[in-house]
Parts: sequence; structure tokens; C-alpha cells
Amino acid sequence: MTEPVVHIRGLTKRYGELVALDGVDLEIRAGEIFGLLGPNGAGKTTLISVVTGLCRASSGEVRVLGRDVVRDYRFTRRNVGLVPQEINFDPFFTVEESLRFQAGYFGVKLSEARLVELLTALDLTAKRASSARALSGGMRRRLLIAKALVHEPRVLFLDEPTAGVDVELRRALWAYVRTLRDRGTTVVLTTHYLEEAEALADRIGIIDRGRLRLVEEKAALLARSAGRSLEQIYVELVGRKEVAPP
Amino acid sequence: MISLGFRTLLVKEIRRFLRVPGQTLATPLVTTTLYFMVFGVSIGHQLREVGGVPYARFIVPGLVLMGVIQNAYLNSASSLFVMKLQGTIVDVLVSPLSYAEILGALVLAAVVRGLLVGGITFAVAGVFTGFEVAHPLLALAVVTLAAVAFGAAGVASAIWAESFEQVNYFPTFFILPLTFLGGVFFSVRMLPPALAAVARANPIFYMVDGLRFATLGSGDGSHWAGFGLVTLLAAGALTGAYMLLRSGWRLRG
Repeated sequence: MTEPVVHIRGLTKRYGELVALDGVDLEIRAGEIFGLLGPNGAGKTTLISVVTGLCRASSGEVRVLGRDVVRDYRFTRRNVGLVPQEINFDPFFTVEESLRFQAGYFGVKLSEARLVELLTALDLTAKRASSARALSGGMRRRLLIAKALVHEPRVLFLDEPTAGVDVELRRALWAYVRTLRDRGTTVVLTTHYLEEAEALADRIGIIDRGRLRLVEEKAALLARSAGRSLEQIYVELVGRKEVAPP
Repeated sequence: MISLGFRTLLVKEIRRFLRVPGQTLATPLVTTTLYFMVFGVSIGHQLREVGGVPYARFIVPGLVLMGVIQNAYLNSASSLFVMKLQGTIVDVLVSPLSYAEILGALVLAAVVRGLLVGGITFAVAGVFTGFEVAHPLLALAVVTLAAVAFGAAGVASAIWAESFEQVNYFPTFFILPLTFLGGVFFSVRMLPPALAAVARANPIFYMVDGLRFATLGSGDGSHWAGFGLVTLLAAGALTGAYMLLRSGWRLRG
């Protein structure tokens, strides 16, 4: 069996008295779309933040492509992309400049061909020379995705990528995520939308109060659940719905 | 070897302040020019000379240093704090950039802005007082080290600050009073002994005196102490900012 792309063992993160992650064990396989579901405050963003280097673990081990994310952070970060939950943009720069700077931070000189490819894929070509300030919310979200992909990461983390996005854009992003997976990128996405996880994920993890309650192939999960929807399974495990409507 | 990541962050930081030249270059230029016109040209005619140097020329090194210090601090502090506020700090934190590279790029951009403002101030003053510099390399070393010290202090302040008000504490309650009391507009020899002793306890006094010696060829006699102090301050501020950045406090959860 091939080594997992992301390997997490005994991961714990405490904020004072609050235990955000409580001994999480998880492996993400190469080339899959892994959907991480959970209510607000369950630990989804904290988990992603530890893997991507935004946050430090209290204890436990996290490896990306076999390398420790703290000791070998240069290697692991070059292979990881993050689309954060909160939209951010630098109002001083254009879409093209933002992408070129982001590539540069990762030690990559962005080629014209790669720039055009990203702008085309994320429907930002017409906005190439526009200030990020002039973009709509949906476009800013797409710019975030382009920035996360600019260094061609092996693993892409999408933290609530379609929150607040209209149905049309959401479907377009889903199609693009599938394209990425088909090209070999491993995708980990957190979502409130059960429909999103059901439509996209190959495997599903459900996290609540910092603990992983379930990790299973989506097809097997739905098959053994005797006609119950993912939403019903989720509510049974988490004990409450707290999930946004599709 | 200088990494592409470091160069990219440095270029981005420099372009950022060049995108708003009215705020980052013209405003300090107008302010220091006004100081020069009011204190140097108008009042200077009454004061004539200090230690054998025309008063208008006497205050130039202090005004240059004031511009360098304030702008170096403001550049790194406002840039990093705005990155925190807007969330774009994430772009840097998830990248493979080391803490030394992040700090180096932020501080170097602050030095560039500080030296630009200092250079423009010197050029404007030079029209009235002349462009002679007694020890150019020493002058460049003093202003560069002062910019490093206050650029690094700006990084530390932005990490600590949780509001724009807090970002402004340091320039309002530290830089401004110590600059005004640091001999920009007077010589300590003009002060009564008790006040002169207080002035000599002010680190900015030594920087001003060091730069005054480097540009005019004479000072209050503490220029080597000033050079040593500004070197120590730069090293201390860089070390402190690096430790703070590395600790992850208020940056990495």
C-alpha cells in the first residue's frame, strides 16, 4: 500500500482549557477528495491549519508526503496549498500581481502559460489587470483558489470553499475540484454543505468536539446505511444538525 | 544565496509603499520641510550659530534622522498590521519562507522607505544649506542602522498590536517625544546640566549626535557612543522581532 499523502497521529491542539483537537488520527490518500464534515467549532479549520502551518499542534505528529510539517516545513509547505475560509485580498495589487507574488513566496517564477491556465480555469482572465479591490465576492473566492494552486501543490486544502457562493459558481468550483483530482491533486475540503460532500468526496470524515467520529469511503458509508442520506448519518453521529442548507 | 521568496516579499513591500507615494513619501517630506522652514530658516535667523554651525544647517541631521526613524517604523508596522487585519498574512505564513526571510524582507523594505524619506529631506534642506557631508559612509551607516532598528521595532509592534491605535502607541509615546528631546533642534551644551543629563539618557540623542558628526564634522562629543548604541539597538531590535516572529505569538494560533 502506498504511503498516505497526509499522515496524522495523536494530533491534539489546546487553546487554554479548550481542546480543539483531541488525539486525531487520520490518513489522506493520494489522489482522493476527502470531505471533512462537522459543526461549527468542531475542529475542521484547526486541523487544516496545523497541516498547512498556520497553527502549531500541542502534541502529536503530522506528516505530508512522509515529512514532518514542523521540521521539514519548507518541503511540506511547497507541496501544500490552502484556500482559507475567510476571503482575503491585498487592495494594493492586481489579480496578476497577487498571483505572481504568491508564486514567488513559494520559490516559483510564474510562467505566462501557467498564469493564463489559472486565469482561464478560474474565469478571471478579464480581471487580470484589475485591482483585487474591484472584484466581486465570488471572484475574490476564485482568486484565493488560484493563489493556492499557483505553485502546483500535491495536496490542496479547501476550507469551506463554497460558503456564501451562489449555486452557479458552486457547481463550477465542484467541476474544477474534480478536474484537479483527475490530474492527480489530492483534495481535502471542509464543508457545511452535506450535498457538497456527497457530490464531491471519495471518502468522508466527520469530526465533532475535536474528535474524529467516522472516516469511511462515501460509497461504502451510504451503502451500509440502508438508504439513509448522509445528512441522517451526520445527525446521528453529531447529535445535532447545524449544517447549512444546500 | 538570496531566495526568490525573500526577493518577492521585499519587492512586494517596496511596491506597496510606492503605490501610495502621497501617504508614504510626500507627507513626511512636507512635514519635515515645514519643520525646516519654521525652525531652521525663520527661527534660525535669530539663533544664528550653534557650535560654529549655522542653525539651519545644524538641525538638518536631526530632521533627516527623524524622517528615517518614523518612516522605517511606520512602513513595517503598518504593512504587517494590515496583513494581519486583512488576513493576507496567511499567504506568507503558509509559504516556505523562513522567519529570517520574512523579517529581513519587512525590515529591508522599511530601510528603503526610511532612506528615501531621509534622502529627500536632505535634498530639500541641502538647497538652503548646502550638500556637504563630512563623513558620507558613516552618515549612511548611522541612518541605515537607525532604520533597521526602527523597522524591526515596527515588526514587533505590529505582531503585538490588536488595533491601529496600538500600532500608533510607539511613535506617539516613544519616537516623537524622544526625537524632540533628543537634540534635533538644540545642542545639549545649550541645556542646564540637569537637563543635559536627562538628554544624555535618551538613545535618540546619540543617534542624532552621531549623524550630526558624520554630516557636519562636529557634534556634542558622543558620536562614537551614538554609533555603538545604534548598532546595539539595531541588533537588539532585530533579535527581539525575530524571537517574537518565531514564537508565533498572535500570528500562528
